[in-house]
Amino acid sequence: MPLDTSTTYPLTKLRLDGRRWNELRLLQAQISTNPASSGSSYLAMGNTAIICSVHGPAEGRRGDASGGSAGSSGAVVEVDVNVAGFAGVDRKRRAGGSDKQSSRIGTILRSAFQSHLHTYLYPHSTISIHVSVLSADGSLLAAAVNACTLALVDAGIPMPGLLCACTAGMSGSASTPRDPTNDFLDPLLDLSLPEEQELPFLTVGTTTTVPVGEAAMIHDDEDEMKVSMLTMDSKVHCSYVETMLAVGIDGCKQIREILEGVIKKSARR
Amino acid sequence: MASTLPTLAIPGQRLAPVSSYAAGPGTHVQNANIYASIAGPVLVNPASSKTAKSTLSVSRSPLRTAAPAAPQSAPKSTAPGPSKPRYNTLPAVDSIVLARVTRVQKRQATVSILVVLDESASNKAGPPPTTTTASTGGASDNDNIEAILSSAANPENHSNSDELRFQALIRKEDVRAVEKDRVVMDEMFRVGDIVRGTVISLGDQSFYYLTTARNDLGVVMARSEAGNMMFPVSWKEMRDPVTGAAELRKVARPF
Repeated sequence: MPLDTSTTYPLTKLRLDGRRWNELRLLQAQISTNPASSGSSYLAMGNTAIICSVHGPAEGRRGDASGGSAGSSGAVVEVDVNVAGFAGVDRKRRAGGSDKQSSRIGTILRSAFQSHLHTYLYPHSTISIHVSVLSADGSLLAAAVNACTLALVDAGIPMPGLLCACTAGMSGSASTPRDPTNDFLDPLLDLSLPEEQELPFLTVGTTTTVPVGEAAMIHDDEDEMKVSMLTMDSKVHCSYVETMLAVGIDGCKQIREILEGVIKKSARR
Repeated sequence: MASTLPTLAIPGQRLAPVSSYAAGPGTHVQNANIYASIAGPVLVNPASSKTAKSTLSVSRSPLRTAAPAAPQSAPKSTAPGPSKPRYNTLPAVDSIVLARVTRVQKRQATVSILVVLDESASNKAGPPPTTTTASTGGASDNDNIEAILSSAANPENHSNSDELRFQALIRKEDVRAVEKDRVVMDEMFRVGDIVRGTVISLGDQSFYYLTTARNDLGVVMARSEAGNMMFPVSWKEMRDPVTGAAELRKVARPF
């Protein structure tokens, strides 16, 4: 079986795992999985599985408090990402500490949630988020964002809306300008690891937007999405970005509905 | 507008415009609308005066029996039956506790709290129940009170399990109400005794403070030096039924 998505995809219009271009992988999630933490969650997107636990808001460590006035205006979000040695295809033996990938995910998560949460309600305190990747099969950052959102909701930390993330890519290298007459590339939603390794992709995170001005009065029930996080590591021609973004935002909308269902289900219990 | 309130709010969900409600805990206001900030049941607190608006809040407690528009008395309805005392809650000021003596020093005795009787429950039950009612009435979350107490009297058993329980101090001046300055701690408590006391202070990080300065408070179960369970003979003496030897204790009134 050829692993090369870019050659097989145009023929079959099915991806390696049998999905169509706009299909998400199976998303399963659970909250309050760890009673010892303030909030916790387990989230699996396809074969990517993540557990996340939130501690706090709690008083920060002594060293941090004296370090400056960083926490005086609001809580400080700390994120710790740990990718298990058995998460990938081959077992990785790491000499402790975090590798480049996990520290990068941690940095993005921290800046995303630091600005997203209502941290001003908890001055001089720390919200620490611990993310453990049990199984990595692509869209790690997106899955981590979704898991963190669930855990933060479980912890009861106020936020303006659910932050949901999703990946979107193109079904080819997409390095040349788009040709409107002969457009053979499709955008792909929710990439798995083999797709992520060879195709350009971006990770987009959205939250519910706030209707502004006149629109607020008219479109009352319309839940608009607002992009609050966007990262892209690969190269793609700029004419494709808009398509990828649109597909990603659509995926975020689907994910948000799933996460809302998870929260409602656990609240009823 | 008010009729469209959801039962259960999710962060970011629009609840109502600020023109019809005031924003309470668990909500935030953006663009003249109240949005939920946390997940939970939506509660409406009726306005205190006619001019004020009702307060809309999102509660953290999970949705059980709480109706959407019910005021905050909902959590109370989930409490167990009124007359049933509840055990193993957190010690609070004035709650009656049963504790095991772990260490007797010149100025204080260290005890570890075994059972906490809820203050509110003990009020309803009238006089604080004796140990026998405590063990028979233990239909709540903790049915093994008898096991806790019988293991308590076992002197070999007080090493590890005690460290996991709440620690408390009985200071010398809190032992009894009269002749406080004549108290000799060795004649009041012995390691392994079960003491009924009441919490006077939450104390510092490591210890609660208890007092036994009441007739119904003090040692309720004790073993003699010979290892036999003793019976109380006066407010300061207990006797071994086998050897007949008397030992000094600050005894709780048994009835």
